[in-house]
Order: sequence, then structure tokens, then C-alpha cells
Amino acid sequence: MPAGNDQLVSLEWQPLPGAGGATIFPLIRKIDTVSSNSYLIQTPDAIILIDPGGLPVQAEQLMQVVTECRAEKERPFFILLTHAHVDHFIAIQNTPALAVAGAAVLMVQEEGAACLERGDAAMTQAAMFNTTIVPIKAGFQLVTSDRREHPGEPVELCFSNGALATVTAFPAGATSMSLNRETIVFGPDSPPLEVFHTPGHSRDSICIHMGELLFIGDLLFAANPGIAGLVGWSQEDLIRSLDGIGPLLETKEISLLCPGHGRLIPVADAQKMLALVKRDAATLADIAEFNPDRAAEIATYAEDIMEQVNQLFTVMAGRLYYVSYVLDELEESGTAEELGTLINGDDIDELLDAFRTFSEEHHKKKGVSVHLALKAGQVIGKLQRTFRTDELAHIIDPGIVRRTERLLADYITIFRGFTPPREVTVVDLSSLIGALVGGLTIPPLSSDAVFSSADDEKAFARVLLSSIGTRPLLEEVNVGIDNAPDPLFVTIDRENFIDLLTYILEDLVGKGSPAIRIAICGSGSYATVAISGTTPSSSAGCESRKTDRFLAGLCERAGASLAVSHGEDTRNTYTIQANRVV
Amino acid sequence: MEIKTTSKDNATTLSLNGRIDTATAPELEQAINKVIDGGQRKVLLDFAGVTYISSGGLRVLLATAKKLKNPGDKFGICALTPEVLKILKLAGFTSIFSIYASEGETLAGW
Repeated sequence: MPAGNDQLVSLEWQPLPGAGGATIFPLIRKIDTVSSNSYLIQTPDAIILIDPGGLPVQAEQLMQVVTECRAEKERPFFILLTHAHVDHFIAIQNTPALAVAGAAVLMVQEEGAACLERGDAAMTQAAMFNTTIVPIKAGFQLVTSDRREHPGEPVELCFSNGALATVTAFPAGATSMSLNRETIVFGPDSPPLEVFHTPGHSRDSICIHMGELLFIGDLLFAANPGIAGLVGWSQEDLIRSLDGIGPLLETKEISLLCPGHGRLIPVADAQKMLALVKRDAATLADIAEFNPDRAAEIATYAEDIMEQVNQLFTVMAGRLYYVSYVLDELEESGTAEELGTLINGDDIDELLDAFRTFSEEHHKKKGVSVHLALKAGQVIGKLQRTFRTDELAHIIDPGIVRRTERLLADYITIFRGFTPPREVTVVDLSSLIGALVGGLTIPPLSSDAVFSSADDEKAFARVLLSSIGTRPLLEEVNVGIDNAPDPLFVTIDRENFIDLLTYILEDLVGKGSPAIRIAICGSGSYATVAISGTTPSSSAGCESRKTDRFLAGLCERAGASLAVSHGEDTRNTYTIQANRVV
Repeated sequence: MEIKTTSKDNATTLSLNGRIDTATAPELEQAINKVIDGGQRKVLLDFAGVTYISSGGLRVLLATAKKLKNPGDKFGICALTPEVLKILKLAGFTSIFSIYASEGETLAGW
């Protein structure tokens, strides 16, 4: 192949491997959600464009090439969609050359054809990307149930622009293939083109086979967060389709898979990737539908948690720098340098900056929520790989490390369409708060622990690091607790509730409140915890709002409700109401 | 980020305005180094206009604290916004260098 053994050259005509007489002009794009790759194929009898994409400029570029081909030899022009999602086809609607009636025959699987004909904004994802679509009629419906009733019988089709094609249906199970398929022949000198129905990513997804190439649309991305659960997605169908593609790769002489997004994939790599997609897909039972409303909710959640993630990572990196500084003072610069490997502050800063810039642009340009949710997913995935949690938790406050881990994991869980686990139990509010405040006031390591480790060099180094890196949050703050006269039992998710209280206490201490008051009381079927403190000055509006919204969401996940008041006198009060067990 | 440098009472104040992040932390470091290299050993950072500090910014503060730790040296930060104060406090930095309410209070104490 011109670009090496496993690639085709983008934007150049080259022989289509294994398909004598056919040539291919691939247009390979960097992966994004705006537009797909496009593949233009010409045979002596036809010109076929697989996925015109989502950008008018891309379609115009392709149409120029098509015009040159037709000037060389006039042939019928077919546009074939791997599936009817806007990023694969909307350029048809916005490109005059493609929209001219009769210029091309649009080929789509029959369910996709129905969606296009009724202008279905949900199934085509037009609603998700805030795109307007107009109804489009597909001239050639693929893998139809009608033709399956006459398996193996070639059907001659004649189109209004004079194009001809012969199509033969082979229902699933009729051969060794477990997928419904059709073979299409555009003329006596053209290699056959096979279409396999592979629903899962969408109901109308197909894979297209010609020569040694298999065009797979978005099959490889179908189990990814933010893609799994799209309207029309089906876990059961996806797994069945993946099971069907495996044997296809073994029995046909396929060397390259041409995805809807990103670079081409050699068949050996593709088999491994498909196995991973299947493994991921198997875990996605009962995920929530990923529709525009949910995308908007997730995008808001993403912005709220990124504010906290930003603070937690900066604090963790800062703590490590602080420990390094103290070690340097103690002339332990070797150990100080080793700490730098536990968290990569520069990478983290860059990731957090990238999200902030993206978010600002998103609001300025009134972007679609799904892009923000996807960006947060991408940044959080990378953040999860930037810090070594177990070792960090031995040096700095393990509570901060654990909360950071949970925050990142919760986002990925929600983004994937699941609900983070919640375990509601009955707890005595006064005991829980008393224990939490006690734990946040006393240094975790006593001086006895430091002395007793002195004989063991490694143990001493570890204890020393931990005693420098861990500072009790409430050590310099006067905390008063007004307990209820009797035990007050409530039903809450203990872990989320403790996290909530810790975030609130951190916010008050961090912003300089010298004293904190915690009042616990019960009334009727509710128990109330009011936490208040006075900070030297009031917080900036936007960040403060995001923090309050984040805390309210966390409180809800803990099984309680939260009201926050920031008084003009800089007094902040957080009132939590939980269900009381009487 | 805007950095305004003023000197009075044998001390130099760098008044900062904006975010201290990946892009601006090196700029801040350069400005501080220029002051120290010029022989000034009393440096105050006025954070009244700083809305955000990244880990890179924290590293610049620590590097400055290391440079100004000889007897007679002074390094402090004043007029912190609640968001930045929170980061410095939780990271443990408030035990390394002094935090002041205002430039006036700092210079009076130095």
C-alpha cells in the first residue's frame, strides 16, 4: 500500500487492495464529533462515496474530486452511509452540489432511511448537536426485510438518475454468517460490495466490505462513554454485531478496517480492539439513555466537579511541594526529588487549563453540552493516570487522595450512564460528626509513633514524610458542636455524607474562618445539621456558585438536602436536612 | 497577568492581577527573580487581584521562599482572595511564609 503496509494515503487516489479495477480516495480526519472520515471509491461502473461527513468544506472538497472523475468518465454516483448520524451525513444537506436532486443515489440501511425521511432529530443525533435537519429521501434502502424474504435472488434496481445496481440478500443464518447481509454489484467490471447489518451503535449501522477493506462506521467507539447509550444504541445488538464481525474477519481476506473516525486499523489490531469493545459493552447493561437533557445535566456536573478537582489536585501537588521543601531544609534532597514522581504537577496544570479554556469557549460560543461532557471525560480519564494514589496516600492526607479518586470515578460512572453506588444506612448523627471532627483535629501520627520507628530507617522515613505531609484540617480552628440531647438516628449514605461535611469544613477553614459552629437538632421526621463560620471576605460569585451546586448534588447523593446561605456579613451557613429514624 | 512592581520602605511589592497558571507562572518567577537579582531581600506579593493559583504557581512561591530565607530576608503575601487563601492553607503553605491582610500592615511590620 502506498503509505506503508497498514495504511492508505489520505487525499490521494490509490488501488483499492484486493478489488481489481477499483480505486479509493480516503479522507482521514483527526477524531472529533463534528465530522467523520470519508471514503471515495471509483470502479469502471460507479462512483461511491462512503459517509460524506458533517462539514460542508469536506463535502465540497470531495465533490470536486467526484466532478473530476465524472468528467473523465461519466458514471452513476452513489452516497453510502455507514449509519445516519449527523457527523456522517449532514454535509449532504448543506452542500449544494450534493443536494442537487438526482445527482446521487443515497444508500442507507432501511431503518436509517426511515429516520432521514421523517427528519428524526433524536435518532440522527441532530438534537444532541443542536443541528437542524430537513427530511431526506434515500433512493436505495439497504438490508431490507422485504428482500430477505427472497434470499439469494438477485434483484435489479434502476434509479431515477439512470443508475443501475443488482442486489442480493442473504439473511443471517442462511450461510455461516450471523449477520444479515446484501451483495451489491454496480456493473460487469466492478468488484462486488457487501453490506452487513451491524446494529448496536445505532439501529441502522452497517459494515461495508470491498476487496480487502472493511468500512466499519463507529463500531469501535460504540462502547465508549458519551457514545454508549445514544438514542438508538442497544447493548444486546452491539454484542451480537461484534460476535458477527469476528468470523467475518477470519473468513474474508480483509487486511484493513476503515473506521468512521481516525486512522485505519490493520486486521490483527482490530481483532484485539473488537474484543475490548465487546468486553466494555458487556458491562453496559441498563445504562441510562444519553440524550440532550442528560448531556446538559452531565455538562453542568462536569463543570461543578472540575472546580473541586482543580482545587484537590492543586492542594495535593502543593502538599508534596511543601514536603519536598521541608525535606530540603532537613538536607534530605534525594527523598525530596523522589516525591516529584508521585504527581506530575505540570501535566495536571495543563489538563486543568485545557478544560477551563474549552469551557470558556463553550460558553462564549454557546456550544452543545455533549462536547463539554466529552471534554471533561477526556480530561478526567487523563487525570486518573497522572497520580500514584497508594503512595500519595502514605505521604499526604489519605482523605484528600481518596476524595479525589472518588470524584473522578463518580464522573466516569455517571458519564457512562450508571448511577454511582449509594449505600444508605442508619447512623447516629452526633457520633458520626463527633468522630469526624475528632479525626480532623488530632494529628494522625503521635510523637510516640515517630520515636518507635526510629530504629528502622525505611519506617522512619515513611513516618517522617507522613508527619510532614499530613496536617489536621481543624488543628488551628475552634470548633464547637451543639449536640441534640439524645442520639439522633438518620438514614444516609455514610461515605458521601462524610465527604460532604469534609468539603464544607475545608471550605470554611480554607477561606479563613477562625471558628466553626456545628448545631445538630431533630424535629419531627427530620434531623438538621447547621454548620456555620465567618470568613474574612466573601467569595467570588461564579466559583462559589459552582461549589454550592456541587455540594448540593453531593448532599443529594448522600440522601439528604442542603441549603447554603452566604450572608452579607460574610457569615456562611450550610444547613443539611436528613431523614430521621424515629 | 499584570505585574506592577513598586518599592518603598526598603521593600519591593509586586502587585499581581489575573490568574497564576501554566502560562503565567514562569512570567511571575522571572519578575520575582529580577527583583531578587537586583539585590532586594524584602519581597511582598500583593495577591489582591489574583483569582486562581495552579500548582505551578505554588512552586514559584516555594522557590522564592527558598531564596529569601537568610537572616534579615523577608518574603510575604498579602490581600489574598478567599479562593487562593484556601489553596495555600490546605497545601500547608501558610506555615512557610507569612500571610498579611494588606501591604500597609506588612510594611509596617517589616
